[in-house]
Amino acid sequence: MALTILLIDMDEDRARALEEKLAGSGFARVLRAQGPDLAAAVEQARPDLVIIDMALPDRDALEDIRLVSAAKPVVMFAGTDDPAFAQEAIAAGVCSYNLSGVALEDVRPIMASAIALFQRYRHVETELATAKALLNERRLIERAKAILMKDRKMSEPEAYRWLQKKAMNEARKLAQVVADFVAEEENHHRESKP
Amino acid sequence: MSEVVALKTQRAGPKLRIGFLRLTDSAPAIVAQEFGYFAEEGVDAELLEEPSWANIADKLAYGFLDAAVIVPPLVFAIELGLRGISQRLVVPCNISMGGNTITLTRDLAQRVRETAKQRGLPTAQALAACLAGQDQPLPLGVVHAYSTHNLLLRYWLATAGLEAGRDVRLSVVPPARAVEALQSGQIAGFCAGAPWGEIAARSGAGINVASSDDVWRNAPEKAFAVRGSWAEENPQALKGAVRALVRAAQFCDAPENASYTAALLSRQRYLGVDSHAILSSLPGGPISPDNQSRFWRGAATFPWRSHALWFLDQMARWDLIDAVDNQALAARVYRSDIYRAAVAPLNISVPLADSKSEGAHQAPWLLDALPTAIAMLPDGFCDFAIFGDVPAPASF
Repeated sequence: MALTILLIDMDEDRARALEEKLAGSGFARVLRAQGPDLAAAVEQARPDLVIIDMALPDRDALEDIRLVSAAKPVVMFAGTDDPAFAQEAIAAGVCSYNLSGVALEDVRPIMASAIALFQRYRHVETELATAKALLNERRLIERAKAILMKDRKMSEPEAYRWLQKKAMNEARKLAQVVADFVAEEENHHRESKP
Repeated sequence: MSEVVALKTQRAGPKLRIGFLRLTDSAPAIVAQEFGYFAEEGVDAELLEEPSWANIADKLAYGFLDAAVIVPPLVFAIELGLRGISQRLVVPCNISMGGNTITLTRDLAQRVRETAKQRGLPTAQALAACLAGQDQPLPLGVVHAYSTHNLLLRYWLATAGLEAGRDVRLSVVPPARAVEALQSGQIAGFCAGAPWGEIAARSGAGINVASSDDVWRNAPEKAFAVRGSWAEENPQALKGAVRALVRAAQFCDAPENASYTAALLSRQRYLGVDSHAILSSLPGGPISPDNQSRFWRGAATFPWRSHALWFLDQMARWDLIDAVDNQALAARVYRSDIYRAAVAPLNISVPLADSKSEGAHQAPWLLDALPTAIAMLPDGFCDFAIFGDVPAPASF
């Protein structure tokens, strides 16, 4: 049985990846929608299943389609009565509306694909953010060391130990201490200039 | 500053994850968090901004949130399992009164105002006069099917004989999309909470023609709902959370704090919108004093059972719920007993009754309360209806 799925996701890459995956499986026809009038898109496309990014405000508009059409009940999270499955979907940030009473065994693999994809993208985002934070931390430590070496005539290992000791004494993270130190020094530097 | 907050957090008790939407009346929860009131009262609160009421409902239902600043009809929808699995909730305090606007496109608003002036009609009747003879129902937006806004707008329209389905077509438009939807012609107006009416007005897309007060003066708006199991497992922290919110409500209601609160709310992590648009909907804000959220005055934090009953009555009126035992449901969810126990150390006046006659007061009045009477605000409806004449006995 070929299901019609309406996918609502503003993240182009993720949406395309999921579309390819589901369409490639052969049992689903995937349509895309976005913008303010999703209820109209649903009425037009008459999908069996709607999959939507939970970060969008548009979920509230979708909730109303059962009141507009009053045809069939909309079931949350792929119509599963399995709370663990629903919790996994919420944690991944994706949810689905079952509009035509599709059987659970047909919906489950589709939602599993969506959940896996949302998890993977979230994972990539987190990794990117961590990498950026690390890079910034390294940059600030280099800067702090340079200030200490120039202004207080320390060697590089001395400068690093000085920063570590400061962090230990203040019971704070090295990154915080270094960031504050650099900000302070740079402020001081600016103010002391005519 | 950060050290002080860290110390307070260390002392705090059980974790309380509170969901909120980008709305003016999230203010007490935000202030209670930012000022350390939650921590002082022994609650390790975490505020989570959610993009939709649907997210709030699902996360409460599946245990991703412990509590939320929420529209009361949705509390009953979750409790009754009307939109997913059901979850027991309790409302130990109310958050706000008023603050919604009914906003129409500039063209329509001007025609309505002109008609109201020429023929001496109230705004709703003037809208009905403008719609007479039209062949298509007027498309209007509300924020959720189970929202205060849906009930207030339907009530207001009905007083002018306007019926959803025949004269107007109601659909759900998230407030953050309302300006776009007005401009594209998808809707001709909407009813939403502050600051979204003001934002539409500032963008030039719409004009506010009425407010909550024009439907029901000092209408209850947001409530604080907590998962039943969390409330039972953490009775002390629950009372602490209520105290923190009541203290924050006092701060938010003081006119001299308006610009401070507006600036706080405008931060990216909270509302992320122009602070001036928020300011106009706060007590003490400079514009439209009839259209402001109220947080403390007139027993605004008290969880009135008569408010719960009005919501249930109206939900049944528009076929949003089947027949249920309204009295029992209202008493189970709206917990004035928790409120009274929670605020006892604060030395504030507390109402003696759990219900009041909604709509019976067209002017300010005095409410029986201990230790001293409370100065109450009017609670009249636009059609002078009165709900619930018999006050229920108080539960302590």
